[in-house]
Amino acid sequence: MFGIFPFANTVVLSFTNAKPLGGAARNVGLRNYTEMFHDPDFWTAVKNSVEYALVVVPLMVMLPLMLAVLVSKKIPGIGFFRTAFYLPVLASIVVVGFSWSWMLGENGMINTLLKDLHLTGRPIEFLTDPHLLLLSAMAMTVWKGQGWYMVIYLAALGNVPKELYEAAEMDGAGAIRKFFSVTIPGVRLTMAIVGTLTAIGSLRVFTEIFILGGPTGGPGGQARTLPFYIRDAALDPETGNLGYGSAISVALFVLTVGLTLLGLWLSRGKEGTR
Amino acid sequence: MRKAKLGAAAAILSLAVTACGTGGSDLKPAADGAVGSKIGNCDVPADVAGTGPVKGDVNGTIAFQTTNLKSDFGDFFTPLIQSFEKAHPGVTVNWVDDPGDAQFTTRLVTEAQSCTLPDVVNLNQITADALSKNGFLMDWDVKVPDSSKPFIPSIWNSIKSTTGAHDVLPWYWGPNIQTFNTDLAKQAGLDPAGMPTTVMGRMDAAEKVSKATGGKAYGFFANPDYWEHLPNEWVQMKVKVMADDGKSFAFASDPNALAWTQQMAKLYQEGALPKDTLASDDDPSKLYAAGQLLYGSENASFLRYVKQNAPNLYPKTGVAPYTDDALGFAPFSGQLIGVPVTSKHAAAAVAFAQYLTNAENQLAWCKDPKVVIFPSTQASLSDPFFSSPAADDPLGQARKVAAAEAAKSVYVPDPFSDAETKVIAGEIQLAMQGKESAATALKNAQDRADKILQNAS
Repeated sequence: MFGIFPFANTVVLSFTNAKPLGGAARNVGLRNYTEMFHDPDFWTAVKNSVEYALVVVPLMVMLPLMLAVLVSKKIPGIGFFRTAFYLPVLASIVVVGFSWSWMLGENGMINTLLKDLHLTGRPIEFLTDPHLLLLSAMAMTVWKGQGWYMVIYLAALGNVPKELYEAAEMDGAGAIRKFFSVTIPGVRLTMAIVGTLTAIGSLRVFTEIFILGGPTGGPGGQARTLPFYIRDAALDPETGNLGYGSAISVALFVLTVGLTLLGLWLSRGKEGTR
Repeated sequence: MRKAKLGAAAAILSLAVTACGTGGSDLKPAADGAVGSKIGNCDVPADVAGTGPVKGDVNGTIAFQTTNLKSDFGDFFTPLIQSFEKAHPGVTVNWVDDPGDAQFTTRLVTEAQSCTLPDVVNLNQITADALSKNGFLMDWDVKVPDSSKPFIPSIWNSIKSTTGAHDVLPWYWGPNIQTFNTDLAKQAGLDPAGMPTTVMGRMDAAEKVSKATGGKAYGFFANPDYWEHLPNEWVQMKVKVMADDGKSFAFASDPNALAWTQQMAKLYQEGALPKDTLASDDDPSKLYAAGQLLYGSENASFLRYVKQNAPNLYPKTGVAPYTDDALGFAPFSGQLIGVPVTSKHAAAAVAFAQYLTNAENQLAWCKDPKVVIFPSTQASLSDPFFSSPAADDPLGQARKVAAAEAAKSVYVPDPFSDAETKVIAGEIQLAMQGKESAATALKNAQDRADKILQNAS
């Protein structure tokens, strides 16, 4: 009820001119959808969201797995690294955002370092160039989220039969060969789940862009993602158009389902070729 | 089974159709302040409905919502509330404190939709306008005659909503003043005792500081979305924002708006404004405290931040009256108190709102050393605390400057909704980066703001 009802309500609202503060909404047929397909801001947001998913999902699937393999070794002091990698998950996204904002600023740690090493003549515009802003937000998402998926992979790695590693070693496989031939096939299902979860999460990104790029979503709103644009289009109490925002929400839903099905299809295809 | 599934889907869709704004009465406040028996999907109690004053006894449990005050001012408000409850034994006040973050307005809009607005609520102007336009707030002139008496006339007379009603009581306000780093001013050849008094004059000063310090210090915060730039500077410059018919925007044709945008772009590209602040949600406090900005915030409470976080810079901080540009005065912008028409204990809510905003209680809070705020009541403003401050430090000077401005200060409504400000600021940001000319940016901004306006109408 709590999932289906709001979804159905969103679909219904997308055919109306409903306002945030209610009142008598009128059915406007497909007008919101027609307008959406001709709205350049919508397509900018779609492009940004899809780019976000295309960059973040592979990184979030592979990096935590590699971390998990590293920290699963039974060596002294490894607990410290496990904790260190997991700590960003516990930190507030707002605090993390401000820290990254401070690091990436014109006079921030990274630009100062690059300048001191004579690698750049002038500061890199991490926070004011829309492409770099998106990349910075993606890096922040990966940094903050990888510890969570590392823990999931650690549990999955425990279920990979030790005999497979022993057999691979007897066949002369090195660490890299074992990773690709034993570990990855052994956690393929977990990878599909992580891929699906991160794809959904990537398409819902808002806070990272808001904190690093400000309330306009970067200069000119050029780094806005779909959730950011939904907020701008729908939620202003005076001039928001809830109907139009709902139409964009439906488009986001379709995109999310599409990417999820694509991910599942890709992982199923690989399994069949084993 | 298939029929059952279809039935369930139909039921869900039917429920959806009747919820969240697609049903309910049309939300338009009546011109005479009369209140119907329903507002949206919410029932209006009989004590409030109709054309006459609020009826009923002062009793019941009411919710009082402030905005981000509990952590700093709990020791002031808790006894204040207890004192009210003691004087009105039938009333219990539940104090809730909203964090006042970016979702503040969204939360209140949701509460309005779900008929759960607090009985007495601390509002900012944007949220008050939105609730007022849709008839959720009580018109004080109609429902509580003579409620205007305690307030400064210029403020009360100008604080009408867009519907022409007095839907809120003015509460505390932070006077707009100029604060600046006197060392940087001197370095740039500016006279701290005679700082520029126009918006364009401030821009010239920014350029001078940047040049004098070799780009190590800046003029002010760059983001045009920051309230001190938009809408305040356009209001001060009397930019013609709307077309005469009020149905579309006209600022793209205004020479002041063009000159302002061109100058902002020039300053940004010359490095006279900090690059990172082009779109930042931050405010100037940290950069000012680091000695990198000529101008600090125009909110007097900022001086308290400087005193606490940059004690060496505090005595070097100058205070001057707000820019006396084409408008000729510093507009009032402050916190407001509203009582929703849906309050089930309206008489108690009204009594508490009046108690909260009375001269005595406003003055008592203004004297709290943790704040630099001003009362909206005439009697408390006449107190020597404001006209003859004991200390001559920047905070004392700010009180004095603001007290002199208060009598002529009026409330100037924000000409833009939040969404409109964002698209206008966004285009100006592109002009500042040199990606668009100032004229093109203003034209694009106007087209986009017009689109929002049309969608809303």
